[in-house]
Amino acid sequence: MAEDLAGGVAGAAASVDPDGPDGVRMTWNAWPRSKVEASKCVIPVAASIAPIRASPSLLVLPYAPLRCKPPCAAVLNPFARVDFAAKIWICPLCFSRNHFPPHYAAISETNVPGELYPQCTTVEYAPPPIDAAAAAIPPPVFLFVLDTCLIEEELGFVKSAMRRAIGLLPDHALVGLVTFGTQVYLYELGFSDLSKIYVFRGTKEISKEQILDQLGLSAAGLRPGTAGASGYPKARLQANGLLPSGSVNRFLLPASDCEYALNALLDELQTDQWPVEAGNRALRCTGVALSVAAGLLGACIPGTGARIIALVGGPCTEGPGMIVSKDLSEPVRSHKDLDKDAASHFHKAVKFYDNLAKQLVNQGHVLDLFASALDQVGVAEMKVVVERTGGLVVLAESFGHSVFKDSFKRIFEDGEQSLGLSFNGTLEINCSKDIKIQGVIGPCTSLEKKGALCADTIIGQGNTTSWRMCGLDRSTCLTAFFDISPSERSSQPGSTNPQLYIQFLTNYQNPEGQMRLRVTTVTRRWVDGSANTEELVEGFDQETAAVVLARYISLKMEMEEEFDATRWLDRSLIRLCSRFGDYRKDDPASFTLHPNFSIFPQFMFNLRRSQFVQVFNNSPDETAYFRMLLNRESVTNSVVMIQPSLLSYSFNSPPAPALLDVASISADRILLLDTYFSVVIFHGMTIAQWRNMGYQNQPEHQAFAQLLQAPQDDAQMIIRDRFPVPRLVICDQHGSQARFLLAKLNPSATYNSAHEVAPGSDIIFTDDVSLQVFYEHLQRLAVQS
Amino acid sequence: VDAKSLPRPLNGDEEAIKIQETYPLNCHQRFFRLTTHAIPTSQSLLARWHLPLGAVVHPLAEVPDGEEVPIVNFGPAGVIRCRRCRTYVNPYVTFTDAGRKWRCNLCSLLNDVPGEYYCALDASGRRCDFDQRPELSKGSVEFVAPTEYMVRPPMPPVYFFLIDVSISAVQCGLLEIVAKTIKSCLDELPGFPRTQIGFLTFDSALHFHNLKSSLTQPQMLVVADLDDIFLPLPDDLLVNLSDSRHVVDALLDSLPSMFQDNVNVESALGPALKAAFMIMSRLGGKLLVFQSTLPSLGVGRLRLRGDDLRIYGTDKEHTLRMPEDPFYKQMAAEFTKNQIAVDVYAFSEKYTDIASLGSLAKYTGGQVYHHPSFQATTHQEKLRYELARDLTRETAWEAVMRIRCGKGVRFTTYHGHFMLRSTDLLALPAVDCDKAFAMQLSLEDTLMTTQTVYFQVALLYTSSSGERRIRVHTAAAPVVADLGEMYRQADTGAIISLLSRLAIEKTQSHKLDDARQLMQLKLVKSLKEYRNLYVMQHRLGGRLIFPESLKFLPLYVLSLCKSVALRGGYADASLDERCAAGYNMMILPIRRMLRLLYPGLYKIDENLIKGPEDFEKSLKQLALSAQSLDPRALYIYDDGFSFIIWLGRMLSPDLVNGILGFDLSGFPDLSKLALLEHDNEYSRKLMRIIKRLREKDPSCFQLCRVVRQGEQPREGSLLLSNLIEDQTAGTSSYVDWILQIYRQSQSS
Ligand SMILES: [Zn+2]
Ligand SMILES: [Zn+2]
Repeated sequence: MAEDLAGGVAGAAASVDPDGPDGVRMTWNAWPRSKVEASKCVIPVAASIAPIRASPSLLVLPYAPLRCKPPCAAVLNPFARVDFAAKIWICPLCFSRNHFPPHYAAISETNVPGELYPQCTTVEYAPPPIDAAAAAIPPPVFLFVLDTCLIEEELGFVKSAMRRAIGLLPDHALVGLVTFGTQVYLYELGFSDLSKIYVFRGTKEISKEQILDQLGLSAAGLRPGTAGASGYPKARLQANGLLPSGSVNRFLLPASDCEYALNALLDELQTDQWPVEAGNRALRCTGVALSVAAGLLGACIPGTGARIIALVGGPCTEGPGMIVSKDLSEPVRSHKDLDKDAASHFHKAVKFYDNLAKQLVNQGHVLDLFASALDQVGVAEMKVVVERTGGLVVLAESFGHSVFKDSFKRIFEDGEQSLGLSFNGTLEINCSKDIKIQGVIGPCTSLEKKGALCADTIIGQGNTTSWRMCGLDRSTCLTAFFDISPSERSSQPGSTNPQLYIQFLTNYQNPEGQMRLRVTTVTRRWVDGSANTEELVEGFDQETAAVVLARYISLKMEMEEEFDATRWLDRSLIRLCSRFGDYRKDDPASFTLHPNFSIFPQFMFNLRRSQFVQVFNNSPDETAYFRMLLNRESVTNSVVMIQPSLLSYSFNSPPAPALLDVASISADRILLLDTYFSVVIFHGMTIAQWRNMGYQNQPEHQAFAQLLQAPQDDAQMIIRDRFPVPRLVICDQHGSQARFLLAKLNPSATYNSAHEVAPGSDIIFTDDVSLQVFYEHLQRLAVQS
Repeated sequence: VDAKSLPRPLNGDEEAIKIQETYPLNCHQRFFRLTTHAIPTSQSLLARWHLPLGAVVHPLAEVPDGEEVPIVNFGPAGVIRCRRCRTYVNPYVTFTDAGRKWRCNLCSLLNDVPGEYYCALDASGRRCDFDQRPELSKGSVEFVAPTEYMVRPPMPPVYFFLIDVSISAVQCGLLEIVAKTIKSCLDELPGFPRTQIGFLTFDSALHFHNLKSSLTQPQMLVVADLDDIFLPLPDDLLVNLSDSRHVVDALLDSLPSMFQDNVNVESALGPALKAAFMIMSRLGGKLLVFQSTLPSLGVGRLRLRGDDLRIYGTDKEHTLRMPEDPFYKQMAAEFTKNQIAVDVYAFSEKYTDIASLGSLAKYTGGQVYHHPSFQATTHQEKLRYELARDLTRETAWEAVMRIRCGKGVRFTTYHGHFMLRSTDLLALPAVDCDKAFAMQLSLEDTLMTTQTVYFQVALLYTSSSGERRIRVHTAAAPVVADLGEMYRQADTGAIISLLSRLAIEKTQSHKLDDARQLMQLKLVKSLKEYRNLYVMQHRLGGRLIFPESLKFLPLYVLSLCKSVALRGGYADASLDERCAAGYNMMILPIRRMLRLLYPGLYKIDENLIKGPEDFEKSLKQLALSAQSLDPRALYIYDDGFSFIIWLGRMLSPDLVNGILGFDLSGFPDLSKLALLEHDNEYSRKLMRIIKRLREKDPSCFQLCRVVRQGEQPREGSLLLSNLIEDQTAGTSSYVDWILQIYRQSQSS
């Protein structure tokens, strides 16, 4: 049975584009028509959407979309019925009849506009700008916020990463710099005579108004002759007309103008100069630093996309956002503390970052968090602001580590390596009646645009049909949850349409700075009545289902005290298998699953053992980090987080998927494990010995050299395409690093069963049940009457 | 009365040289002068003296080359002091017991002579090494203090600059002059290589300057949170000058341009002072504050309480001359406690409340430099000179001063710039040759039993080189039972210096007029007493008689009443100038005080035209009266703080054009004129005279202003109102004054 499961995974991974041209994957591709039926499906009706994923075949239309009459306002799409003679189209979502406007007069069966091409269920509109102001392309804006409470070596890494970034910035990009430690230093880059720095106390919560006042950026301060604005040279003429205030030039300068100054500042940048008392942590005011950064962007460029890029090397120990006191005898909060509500700073800090998130979302700005430390830095507390603004997050052990270095560089790269960072996104979802939207999990914020389409129960960012994504990129993924609630009229036989329609509208500013509207319209089949289980089964997407469940329970674990994820997953899985499995009642041996469900139990087995459920093995920061990535990655990548992929390399056969099982370990094999967060190359004992003897360097052992190289090449391919860059672990059987592999394997052989183990293989020191045992239990419980 | 016959001090201060002859072991008069060199034997005698009994002390007075105060290092013996009263060994102690004991001249205690200090006595009972021991042969001596005299290692010289960079400071050019001057003085700051320096500029925000030596350029750190002042760096805001010299140079070079476009009108002086305090508090030092406007933001914000005409003559009048906000006095107390002396440079053309700002200097041993309506084009030389002198003159750091005196007398009040730490200990965070102090003596109840009273001034300080030292001045004065002797030994210079300080203090608690009345009353009473003493025996009934020693006193008192600090009322001097004058007079040494009260007036046109070779020396001082002014002539007036050049209406145009460098017939605006040397003999000679006059008093730069006869209102305000012998609105002429005094001293 296990072979089948592995085959299933490999098959999914090999398929070219599992997300299809629309980037929409649903747990169910055939939808139960009634609320009762939906609840019997166990797995929520949900869609994972990648609103602006790159698509080579994407059609870009250089005009404004046609929209259905309010309140529907759906955009014309290939599913509309068109009466070419009458120049009328009927909206598939609300069935309204809409007249084509005069400029569509020329359409006919043989002259169809692009948005009606049947294959163009996803199109992008790039209408010409309304006026000159709208035509001006805003430059990308990067406000760097650097922690200086670092040891010299780490600061050195930060500096070299920054220098590399500065070298990669486009000339017109606006750049600002904040450093912080005990206090916050904001650099006035536009001050030419010498370096001028505004300093803020680290201990005190400071309002946006106070920040602006102190910077001389408030309305009052901008009057000549009043507060703050002293000492700056006459504002140079605007580099572009978009910036609302001349003062922006003081703190945000085009990269080409401040490259020299920035490099000079970095040269002289020192670690925080305030002494650290013995037995204490450094005083680090991350919260105030981020407030200042947010306040500055809010004053200078509200509504224009901008990123705050924070490089944080330790916990916030003073002022708002503090996560631990400076006293080293107080440890940073653990999951246990959070569980017992014993993390004294946690709620206050989260509240602070929640408010900061609101401010940034209002302003349309993004917070990216690059955390590098051996200890925690407060990712758990800051998660809300990173996720709500659509920011990027990278957690590494050191600023010198490639996980940080290479990820950081990716932000600034363009061309093929570009992340496609975009700004100012709003997502609207429109759907056929009988469908309600419960909410969205992922990097966005509810715009609280309530309407008839909002469901009563809320999941994630709900109570709205519209979401803000201050930052989004081509891999950004969101999960929308739907509720089936048929009205009485629609349940009357015959009056119903067999298809349902959902339209996703994403307005955003693309990496080139242009405003775009991406429209994706999807249709699915309704399944009437409980008799049609077959249809539901056919439409089940087990990968998406696994990922959606993982996201869903992560949310519940965060929001609900005492939520028992394992138990919840087990019960759901049993219910699902009872409902959709083939079996004779009370006969476990008779139990089989349709191929569409066949690997789902294994997904659940691995999810139960994963970092998403077994949070106590990790710090709250790590958990927050894993969850943020789980929530924003594609289904394919998220599946890897839940159930890592394993490839085996040996002389006898080409690289092949291997069972995620300790039995896959063999002395003469190399294994390549991809857990998403790390990529592990594991050399079997014999391979390692040969390598240590240098066989690969001898001409007669070229095949061995190739065998050694192949997993390296494959690992590099994975690393190159992934953000954040995964940690690469290269290890040998019985080496200390081997634990990175062993932790992920099915413990089919443990020390409990060691006597059965074949020579050359491995055992895992664990009490966890193996997949086989798990599956046996499942069979037994699923068939119980 | 014939005006011509009235006494005038046309030869400057004629110090009572005779004291030095009677008491050759006394310290020089430049360091210590009693108001009368005869101490009354009883309270009742003192009561008939009417003038203040006290002294003027100028502990670090400049000395001519060759007369330096000798430095004595006792080495392991330690400083020799009386066990009981802590008097330092001095020429008046006596040795007995074959040189093994010495008797204290103040308290008569017999002290042991330490072994290391032992020396045999000669036949006359003097120590054989008397000549080699400056402390036994000289009235002034400086002891090197051992570590017992230190509460901490001697501090390095510290100069911290607090500079207003608001729009007015930039526009009047002071920022540029200050920056350039500081830079030009860096090589001469005392204390190399230990000297420390720092800067803080401010307008509505505070700008700290990171001067860390490893930087290539200074960093400016702006703190705009005025409510809760904090330092943006733990170190490097105050740095060793030689280590960070390149950074300091770079800062001073860029300061003017950095703020050239500043449009900020606010001044957060109070918060800036607090910040400066936080930076300096660990070391102490000199804080130089440059302020061009009324402090408007944060703590210490001052109101435009201004110069209200209606308050004059009421019992609230004096409040104008007092600090309004207790902040400044409290700040000053904190500064003093941490060995910080504050010099206030004030420049505004508008009201800046010098009364409040000046209290910073008053209680820290500092000084107020008032440059009203400063404009760099015309006033920069004065600022440059005074700032350079402030920075480069020898300064004594973290000092305390105490004056001990023998039994029966006691110093009761002290007047000048300092903070009184205990009843008789003056805390002086910094002190220099331009600061003098005055104090009053009182007698104990009992009759004086000794024939001589001894005084010993001891100034314990840290030299710029980092040595702890004690400068000691010792003087003796006879005790007399004869009032006439007290009058004969009176020292007008010391008396008027002490009186001036008392008068100024009186204006801080009373109306101006009350202060003037008080001065007049003291004068009248003393003359009446003197008259009573002598009239009968000399049958001089109809004449006003002065004791010879006090012959100039009536004129000086008149002049004091006409001085900027005390004159008239609302319209006669701006409040700030009045207060600045007051602060100034509180620290003046006697010679400068006399020059200020009776300035020199010289006719110099003939010197310019023909003139012998040493024409500068042949200057004749004239009576300060318009009658001295000849419309065909040219005069120079010198009050020690500024020069006025007066051009007679009928003065030869050649001469005028020569010295001005342009034609006066075009009616140019002389108020903006900066007098320069031109390529002609007149101009060269004039500039040489000016130079020579300046050399007479190096403590200040006399700004030279030119005024034409009849040029109103400048002629009136600059010169005519200062011709104190003349009658002006509300004041008497010298002759009238004498008659008035005479009448009052006649009446019983
Ligand atoms: Zn519609
Ligand atoms: Zn004694």
